[in-house]
Amino acid sequence: MSQSTLLETAQPIAVGMGQIRVAHGPAVLGAVLGSCVGVALFAPRLRIGALGHIVLPDSKGQPASPGKFADTAIPAMLHELQALGVHPSGLVAKIVGGACMFAMSGPLQIGAANIEAAVRILGNAGIAVAARDVGGTKGRRVRLDCTTGMLEIEIVGCPPQQL
Amino acid sequence: MINTQALADANLELLHQFFSAATHDASAAMCRWTDGLISLSLDEVREIPMEEVSAELGFGDDLLTMVVLSAQGEVGGEMILAFDEYNGRRLAASLIGRPVDESAPWSELEKSALTETGNILGCAYMNALTRLIDAELVPTAPWFLQDYGASVLEQALLAQASQCDRVLVCRTGFHRHGEELNWRVVFVPTMALRRAMENALRRGA
Repeated sequence: MSQSTLLETAQPIAVGMGQIRVAHGPAVLGAVLGSCVGVALFAPRLRIGALGHIVLPDSKGQPASPGKFADTAIPAMLHELQALGVHPSGLVAKIVGGACMFAMSGPLQIGAANIEAAVRILGNAGIAVAARDVGGTKGRRVRLDCTTGMLEIEIVGCPPQQL
Repeated sequence: MINTQALADANLELLHQFFSAATHDASAAMCRWTDGLISLSLDEVREIPMEEVSAELGFGDDLLTMVVLSAQGEVGGEMILAFDEYNGRRLAASLIGRPVDESAPWSELEKSALTETGNILGCAYMNALTRLIDAELVPTAPWFLQDYGASVLEQALLAQASQCDRVLVCRTGFHRHGEELNWRVVFVPTMALRRAMENALRRGA
């Protein structure tokens, strides 16, 4: 499920549900997010970016598919980056997504739970969230530029924005 | 030794029978709704790795017009009826008897026509499934939305994603006078519904 190869291509690289991608500039990582949360980590000095397409907040101890859950995906991303010489203190973190796609109320709000889990787990690792665009009821098309760390976000009916 | 692949294939074959029956009923309802213009066929029932589902089903990062219905509860599922702009506009125009106008924003009447189409299709489908298993599927009100296809599909996959890495989906084709249309309907059952269907088929075998 997770992808650990360091990618170095100018083509946009799709990050599917439950996947983790790590790439070196000038690569661009892209995902379409609904209730899932995208966690973008960027090492400015080395120009290495990582994007995790996190589906659910808690693995409940399931060992497989670390990229699917916030509590396993973020440590896996950090581990992968550390193997490339990136220390967590040198990372810029941004989070995006976590929408409530069908605008339903009720106890099961996965988008909100994903956001909360991502922020908490990054915080436990000593990483502050530098920017975020989360919640709402619309999907997001996102691209992480691994040269600059810029996260471009498109929402239907809204002008594109950059974080 | 149990051949797990053969077991999985046998289960998919059983489920195919089930979804064929539901698709047959949905097709009959769709024919009535469109004066015999549109029919459905079940193209495939299969398991796909979660990260590949969007690409496999053509729900990429393009803007789609969709009607979503849920059967809520443990034994439930999500249905998405999806069109690109061209096909959605044409269906709406044919249903309300007006010329196609792609320059204007979607009118409430156009939205209502597509929403009702999703309602008829979804209710026929879920009624058939209810008849075939020993559990009642009650669809929610249909929900019209225009968004990136993958972002909506993602939400529909959540119930299965929490329990496994491969997702069971059935893909259905639409036809007008035998010609295939670029419409899509995807039904994603919960794991509990999937088990209920497999049990019902074994009881009937």
